[in-house]
Amino acid sequence: MRLPEALPSFHAPAGVLIAKEMRDLLAGRAFWVLLLLLSPLVGYGFDQAVQLYAEASRAAAQSPELARGLSPFDGIVVPTFGALYFTTTFLFPFVVIRAVAAEKQDGAHKLMQQLPYRTAVIVAAKVAVLGLAWLAMAAVCLSALLLWMLQGGHLSLSEVAAVMAGHALYAAVVAGIGLAAAAMTESMATAAILTLAATVGFWVLDFAASSDSGALGALSGLSLTAVLRQFERGIFSLGTAGATLAAACGLVCLAAVWWPAGRRVGARALASAGVLVLTAAAIAATSRASLYADAREDRRNSFSAGEAAALAQLRQRLTVTVNLRPEDPRYIDFNNGVLGKLIRTVPDIAVIKVAGGRSEFATQGDDNYGQIALAYAGRYARTRSTSANEILPLIYELTNLPRPQATPPTQFAGYPLVADSGVSRLWFYAILPAVVATAWLARGGLLRRGARSAIRP
Amino acid sequence: MLEVRDLTKRFANAVALDAVGFRVGQGEIVGLVGPNGAGKTTLLETLCGLQDADRGSVLWHHASLAPDRRKEAMFYIPDGIAPYGAHSVGAVLAFFQQVYGRPDGAVETAVESLALGSVIGKTIGTLSKGYRRRLLVALGLMTPHPVLLMDEPFDGFDLRQTRDIMQLMRRVSAGGRSLLLSIHQLIDAERLCDRFVLLSAGRVCGEGSLAELQSKAGLEGGGLEEAFLALA
Repeated sequence: MRLPEALPSFHAPAGVLIAKEMRDLLAGRAFWVLLLLLSPLVGYGFDQAVQLYAEASRAAAQSPELARGLSPFDGIVVPTFGALYFTTTFLFPFVVIRAVAAEKQDGAHKLMQQLPYRTAVIVAAKVAVLGLAWLAMAAVCLSALLLWMLQGGHLSLSEVAAVMAGHALYAAVVAGIGLAAAAMTESMATAAILTLAATVGFWVLDFAASSDSGALGALSGLSLTAVLRQFERGIFSLGTAGATLAAACGLVCLAAVWWPAGRRVGARALASAGVLVLTAAAIAATSRASLYADAREDRRNSFSAGEAAALAQLRQRLTVTVNLRPEDPRYIDFNNGVLGKLIRTVPDIAVIKVAGGRSEFATQGDDNYGQIALAYAGRYARTRSTSANEILPLIYELTNLPRPQATPPTQFAGYPLVADSGVSRLWFYAILPAVVATAWLARGGLLRRGARSAIRP
Repeated sequence: MLEVRDLTKRFANAVALDAVGFRVGQGEIVGLVGPNGAGKTTLLETLCGLQDADRGSVLWHHASLAPDRRKEAMFYIPDGIAPYGAHSVGAVLAFFQQVYGRPDGAVETAVESLALGSVIGKTIGTLSKGYRRRLLVALGLMTPHPVLLMDEPFDGFDLRQTRDIMQLMRRVSAGGRSLLLSIHQLIDAERLCDRFVLLSAGRVCGEGSLAELQSKAGLEGGGLEEAFLALA
């Protein structure tokens, strides 16, 4: 028998909370408007991509060399997912913010706080439903890829997975920023301003830092768009993925600290400081992971297997000093073709950029400008070439590594395809918006019927 | 059953609650009475753990009840909210039923008790103030807590509705639940409550039944209003 002074114990199922959050998502307008706008945006991106790819494919019909440059990853997958980036940056934050701010504004927040759920469970339920919302957004992009395949287009699973992973991580951080902003502020408008300031700020930072390898350049390493771009190049970096995930988790924890109303500011500030310190430590620890995977079918981001195996044997630090401005085409060529691959292959490498932050005029009188210096175990070599064919032999000579046997280049023949985007136009501009609009209109009736059936089983 | 001791809450330099203390017995209806700005809402929110107190304690059967455990003992229905505006009335009632594992038919009972049948499929954002208030009372009834705190439960009701809700509350308290109601209409409080806590400028200026308050104020007759004015 229960003693009169014993408090009732509640075992509230988490599924009920998730179902409620799902109803919240479907009941609001934000999610449906987002899907309605996403459909033509993806359609436009896909349509343009298919047309450009078809033009390039017609030219490549006469030239196998041109055909080798035709990768559906660059030509179709990345441009199609560009609409998802746009939507995640500008529209998804409103869906995220609504998940917290709507309850604050209508007073449900005070009831939610009293329910027999821990704050962490409530915030986790919101995150789970926002994850489902993002999957619905990604499904719109995936439908474009399905149309591409139905027309005979080729897709590589690892390439699509890399892009999906990049966009998922990007969305996770955006969701974290939105949740934290909504939890910390009292109105949707303020939360929206803060979130967009952050997402657009990353964009601006990335743009501004593209020509600066100084402090701004270092900051751009923290930019979300830079993280996404890495995945859009088909590079899966465990360190980047871990650090981004740690940042997203930290922001969600920050939201959980600020979600309950009525707590003392001092207590919240202390808890927030703890979350920030732990998040910073987690980011620092995970970003050290130097495990990379080249998701590209044409292996464009990797040295040949023999060269990679040889360079992985270097036991001492290889120092590469680059005297090129970041916006110099030679630097871009060197970075994509050699430096990036070295960073991902050599166990211990230090890169020094000496022309960072200097203008074109400032480097005009510098005779050393354009030089790339290599240092290993007290030995040095210099070159002005940015080609792997020139630089790798220098490294082997410098490090006394036996030069690996030449391996035949990857047999990537390219995938030219002249496809018609008529069906996709019909799908993205008419059928899919109609399906979304119908679901939007029908969801009210479904929710009402669900409520009635819950009362009269 | 529930005892509040020395509860103090400050907002910046303003003292909202100043060493507030009172008791609520099992099955009692206690009216928290005071003018606007007296600290009634702050007291209820601090009591149920929605706001941190600067000092003081809440005891449950003589044992201290920490703020994070108060939601096991009491549930608070705030004033002036329209929660879950995009959801239907039925969905929210069903949500509370499932969260607290209430028996089948609990929602129907609440709907019948509060006459919500005609709006069961309507979204809460479209309800009138009276229906929203009924829904809040229904949500309070759906919860199984021994103590129910309600802020201005009769605000938005006409005379007949107020009388019906009062009868419902008496049935609830007869079942063993305690009700602590913040009421600024003294006539309503006098008609319903067993005991009163008079609050003025964040301080308790009287606690007890109407007869006890009259005695404390040195009055031989009159109502709660006279007692309050004499003690505050």
